[in-house]
Amino acid sequence: MGRRAAVVGAGMTRFVRRAQETGKELAWEAASAALASCGLTLDDMDAVCLTSAPDAFDGVHMKGEYLSDGAGAWGKPMIRTYVGGGSGVFAGIQAWYTVASGMADVVLVVAEEKMSSTQPHPQGAFLTIFDGVLERPLGPNLLWIFALEMNRYMTVHGLEKRDIATVAVKNKRNAADHPSALLGRSDITVEDVLASEVLAWPVQRLDVSPVSDGAVALVVAAEDVAPRVSDRPVWIQGVGWNLDTTYWTNRDLVFPEYVADAARMAYSMAGVTEPRKQIHVAEPYDPFDYKELHHLEGLLLFDRGKAPEAARDGVLDRDGDLPSCPSGGLLGVGNPIAAAGLMKLAELFWQLRGEAGERQVPGTPERGVAQAWGDLMQVGTVVVMGVDPARGGGGGETSTPPASPRGRSLSEEEFRSAPGAVEHAVDARYEWDTGVAVGRFLDGLRAGKVLGRACAGCGRVLVPPRMFCERCFRQTDRWVEVESTGVVQTFSRCHVSWDMQRLESPELPAVIAIDGSDGGFLHVLGEVDPDEVRIGMAVEAVWKSTSERTGSILDIAHFRPRQREG
Amino acid sequence: MLEKVARPGDVRRWHGGIPVRHRYTPGVAGEAFFEALRTRGVLLGSRCERCGFTYAPARLFCERCFSELAPDTEVGPGGELLSFTIGFVGLEGEPLDLPVTIGLVRLDGADTAIVHHVLDPGDEPLEIGERVEVVLRAEGERTGSILDIAGFRLAEDEIA
Repeated sequence: MGRRAAVVGAGMTRFVRRAQETGKELAWEAASAALASCGLTLDDMDAVCLTSAPDAFDGVHMKGEYLSDGAGAWGKPMIRTYVGGGSGVFAGIQAWYTVASGMADVVLVVAEEKMSSTQPHPQGAFLTIFDGVLERPLGPNLLWIFALEMNRYMTVHGLEKRDIATVAVKNKRNAADHPSALLGRSDITVEDVLASEVLAWPVQRLDVSPVSDGAVALVVAAEDVAPRVSDRPVWIQGVGWNLDTTYWTNRDLVFPEYVADAARMAYSMAGVTEPRKQIHVAEPYDPFDYKELHHLEGLLLFDRGKAPEAARDGVLDRDGDLPSCPSGGLLGVGNPIAAAGLMKLAELFWQLRGEAGERQVPGTPERGVAQAWGDLMQVGTVVVMGVDPARGGGGGETSTPPASPRGRSLSEEEFRSAPGAVEHAVDARYEWDTGVAVGRFLDGLRAGKVLGRACAGCGRVLVPPRMFCERCFRQTDRWVEVESTGVVQTFSRCHVSWDMQRLESPELPAVIAIDGSDGGFLHVLGEVDPDEVRIGMAVEAVWKSTSERTGSILDIAHFRPRQREG
Repeated sequence: MLEKVARPGDVRRWHGGIPVRHRYTPGVAGEAFFEALRTRGVLLGSRCERCGFTYAPARLFCERCFSELAPDTEVGPGGELLSFTIGFVGLEGEPLDLPVTIGLVRLDGADTAIVHHVLDPGDEPLEIGERVEVVLRAEGERTGSILDIAGFRLAEDEIA
């Protein structure tokens, strides 16, 4: 498995709503803090691993190249990796194999995000993750997919929203002890979360992490270098990552199998056979409170559907049996996407060295797991880190992350009036071809039929249809007309538009499992009292009149509760 | 597997975009640069003593050694024309009424160059290496923008 690699230094900026610093300046602050923490200089770095979310976020094309000088990459080999929200943890994986392969002895790992540049709301940059032909005409927004996943997770396991809300409370309280935190609140209660604005039921305002700016950096060194530069190197013991299909409406959503596969890969490499005993502290990805629980189950640390009980019973508290997000996580410290993921590795570094200050978990934790998640709800990235038992935990002088901001958080007024500020739009327009399979599917809709594609390899009937089966990786075999009826797999009542404006009446997005197929697609519900919708409800397509149909997903006006006999 | 589309009209496309715009603030060093440009009409750079290198416009850090830098080194207003180009077409390929001359200029005291318009280049061909100087807009017209610099013009002694 190559050379061993260890984290020997870490640094981060404050996470703020709107940083005065440019992205480069944020990256430099975090990177210089990481170097200073282990007494190394830029000259000691052999390579740079950089990560940042899509260019559309900052509107800076080739953002990796733009950030490179702040990340210390002047005149050095640099690689920017990107797997959506999973990027921050993946940067640690990238650092591991850059060192393990022997290509570099010491690497600087930098993650930066500046989301405040995006107007009117960064969600606009997310809209293109939805299928341009089958989903965007429905007017989806990012909250839909979280709400749809959360509802299904809650309903299938019979979970209480109250138990899930304890995660938001825990993390915002934990963050009150974090010097870099944006949203720490020591006095928040479950009632506050349950009373907050409903955005897309069951997602409420305080279930969600905030839009943030910030940067985090690590220094990772090879086994023969690490002990020379660090009194307590924190070894990267295992790494794993995995992707599920982008056909997210064909997935169960109740359990993140891809996270479990990534975790198994990382545990296997780390020699972890009983994660519930051998993992002492966890930093799972928590952009929404339910996601932390979903991911703890994916990390095989709790049985399916049992993590909420653990949250309720205090197991996940800083002094609980399995401290989870002792940093305060994305919900409390903030969510500058890529930086928030790398923060999880930095936090394990501080926890395992006994240097987390007010956030320090009790005892002498020797091993932790960090995880991030992203793309279209489909990627899991996992890193297991640990200290050598003989030198493990305790006894280290207490220190908190060296947060030494040069800039400040800009007020709305300062943001609008800053000298030298400029505003512009990318103003790019796209045309998406329907392609072969979806083109035929749309022809079917115009004719009032729902078509699928049969795969003789796995026996599935694929809806939406594709000319290849992503599991068997073979050409699919034939067209099949399936039903225009189905079952509500999951749904939400969404009260806001993508730019977070309140809607007059809620939209009812739903994933419909189509009868006669093994798949389904995203659509909206109508002719139903929003409060009467249930997962498992039988529904039928309401077609537009023949003359109104154009060969579009909108040829189905909506799905309504099934009225005719099946 | 691939079905041939015989009629181009059968190819259907869905249209969309990324409906965001961006607002950039100039950062810690950038604010100092633009504030000095607007109020004092001077161009600020940052000197890295360790590397013996001066960046202009000012920067918060040295990209070579990562030292923190102060935006306190005045550069220009004179400089050297390192390169130039003359544009005859606009962004959409349309011919321009008047050609636009763009210069790459290293200001006196700086080790880096900036890009801006060359004003009234005159009838004589420009030459790389020529002396130029910054032309600022009048104090009352300056807003804290790169356009507070009107452009470069040939230095008086070059014209003479």
